[in-house]
Amino acid sequence: MKELHISAAPHIHSGIGTGNIMLDVVIALVPAAIMGVVLFGTKALLVLATCVVAAVAGEAIFNLCVHKKQTVKDCSAVVTGLLLGLNLSTNVPLWQCAVGSIFAVVVVKGLFGGIGKNIVNPAIAARVLMLLTFGAVGGGANPVRFVELESTATPLSALKTGVDGLSAAPSLKDLFLGLHGGAIGETCAAALLIGFVYLVVRKVIKWYVPVAFMGTVFVCYLAFTQDPVYALAQVLAGGLVLGAVFMATDYVTTPTTGAGRVLFCVGAGLITFAIRQFGSYPEGVSISILVMNLFTPFLEQWTAKKTLGGIK
Amino acid sequence: MLKRKNISSLHVPHNKHTAACVPERLPVPSEVILPMNMHSGHDAEPIVKVGDYVRVGQLIAREEGRFSSPVHATVSGTVAEIAPIPTAKGGTTLAIRIESDGKMEKDPDLKPPVVNGTEEFLQALRESGLVGLGGAAFPTWAKFNEMCSGQYTVDTVLVNAAECEPYITSDHRMMVDHTDLIVKGVEYLRNNMMEYLKDATFLICVEKNKPDAIAKLREALADKPYAKVHELEAIYPQGAKQVTLYNATGRVAIAGKRFPAFHAVIINVSSFAKMAEYMETGMPLVERIVTVDGPGVKTPKNFIAPIGTRISYLLDHVELKGEPGKVVIGGPMNGNAVVSVDSPIVKVSNAVLVFDEKHAVLPDATNCIHCGKCVEKCPINITVWAVYGALQTKDEEAKEKKLIDTGVRQCVDCGCCSYICPAHRPLLGWNQEAKGWLKKYAAAKKEKEEGKKG
Repeated sequence: MKELHISAAPHIHSGIGTGNIMLDVVIALVPAAIMGVVLFGTKALLVLATCVVAAVAGEAIFNLCVHKKQTVKDCSAVVTGLLLGLNLSTNVPLWQCAVGSIFAVVVVKGLFGGIGKNIVNPAIAARVLMLLTFGAVGGGANPVRFVELESTATPLSALKTGVDGLSAAPSLKDLFLGLHGGAIGETCAAALLIGFVYLVVRKVIKWYVPVAFMGTVFVCYLAFTQDPVYALAQVLAGGLVLGAVFMATDYVTTPTTGAGRVLFCVGAGLITFAIRQFGSYPEGVSISILVMNLFTPFLEQWTAKKTLGGIK
Repeated sequence: MLKRKNISSLHVPHNKHTAACVPERLPVPSEVILPMNMHSGHDAEPIVKVGDYVRVGQLIAREEGRFSSPVHATVSGTVAEIAPIPTAKGGTTLAIRIESDGKMEKDPDLKPPVVNGTEEFLQALRESGLVGLGGAAFPTWAKFNEMCSGQYTVDTVLVNAAECEPYITSDHRMMVDHTDLIVKGVEYLRNNMMEYLKDATFLICVEKNKPDAIAKLREALADKPYAKVHELEAIYPQGAKQVTLYNATGRVAIAGKRFPAFHAVIINVSSFAKMAEYMETGMPLVERIVTVDGPGVKTPKNFIAPIGTRISYLLDHVELKGEPGKVVIGGPMNGNAVVSVDSPIVKVSNAVLVFDEKHAVLPDATNCIHCGKCVEKCPINITVWAVYGALQTKDEEAKEKKLIDTGVRQCVDCGCCSYICPAHRPLLGWNQEAKGWLKKYAAAKKEKEEGKKG
């Protein structure tokens, strides 16, 4: 008789691997991607495709070069590429999209040791890099369908002027449906919320994490302006929903404890508010998440769970 | 009742295919192999020689030390060999091989023990060879002996019938087919330990997925105000003693304290029934119910098998789906994979699970993605993912501190972390490595300090 396999307990597994989780994230991003293409046309499809292909190819080639086990099957490069693409506007040249994607998977993730080892979110780091080197990456483009917009200003730059800017910004309904200028995947809050519900139902993320982020921004603006419509417009405009649902929930770069995750989001919300309100730049989501990524180990330690019956 | 915060747990598929299978008595095997380490303490010491004729129930190895337990012949026949065999933990242990004469002749000297008072009762339990049949293999007498040490007052006897591991139904069948033994067990224990258990409540803790057992026990215990059936949610690891204690009584098992310090004693339901059987017949622990199931078994069954029966012999009596890829003794969450089907079943072997080639190998481990599911699902809230990193620490003092900070010392070995880990990381294995290292390090440190003083 042939030899039996020997392994340590347990001998069964839930069947949900890293790849399944990443695939769930991809699926959750599909509505936003579809809406992006519907609103911004084929150029949007090209941007998304370029980012995904560059990310996957970049990771595959990197693994080959450093003789690491091939990891593209875990879909995490697809997630990174797709997220980055959704964070870019159709005005960004395709070569810049490719450079950003490769930077994300190779420099931010690969060089740190691959999936799970990066300290900041690859898509966000790439977006910020592109922002600093190439200039405006999120704004500038308008939907090619459904709306006739004259100005190329994003809702956030309109809102930047304060509560008075509300009249220049799209209506809450248009903000919710995505009928305004911005990055491909950030404008349609409705599509992002479908993805949010999907991730919660599939138990990939906890509902309170994005809610804590968006809630913090909302409460800050409400307290500051006493105008709920303006506060809501601030939540729906820009990359907040996209960032809160898909980037502040990234496992690798956020704390593992519930309390830590909430604190992470509250911190990110406060920074977003501060940048949007007092900074020179209209958008603050990416930078706030990037900053909070660096706080993760600290938050983790601070909110470590007490063991059952353990003495601390 | 006060609403308590739930302990983290998993919904593992139950796969209790054999719940309705009345155990079949296995035809007498041609030989049995009885290892000397079927309990948690020191190995037992053989008292027979090769060539001796032994009968069922005859003492063949006596206990050595406090938490040891004697071994009895489980078939009648001739002692053929006393030689070391490999153990699941990697070492070796002596084992007595008995060639059966097929007669299953009982030792004529066996008679129900006559006991007066707690001391004699404990002595009888000691001689019965009974150990915790749920998996701990802690000698039953030692458990009650500890309870009687005078340091503890026990108000609850938890009879652990959770059987939360998938596939296994041996405890379940014991409750359904031998309800009377459990009722008698309550009486024997209570009457013989009146001094300690006068006001104690007996809680038979059963998971809700065994409604037939619950109904039968409820009926049988109806006239006993001091014994109740306590229904538990069917979740894993409900049967881990810390979890059972919390879910049945609301008490938290404080780390580093002995179990009776929580005013409770916990005993597996099959051990409990076997205790009653021994008190009635005088027959020590020589056979048990074994579930034979798993993804590689076509016709899962329950058997009553002599302890020491080779796994291969059990497998001969079920239909397999093909060549076995992995064979596990115990549950799929907690059991040990055996090197060979020639290995025997031992006192705690409640199940033999066969995994076909497809289910035998789990995917390789990949990088931790920091999802936190291991912490979320840990019943004890250990920061499981941090254990691996802490184990890599070079500086021993820092390593000790880091490991202790994760809470790993309290790990109950349930395996929820490994089961849920999307990166397929062997987290339970690292927890065990960490616990082992911490124990060794603490012992070495103590020795060093004592050396300094001396």
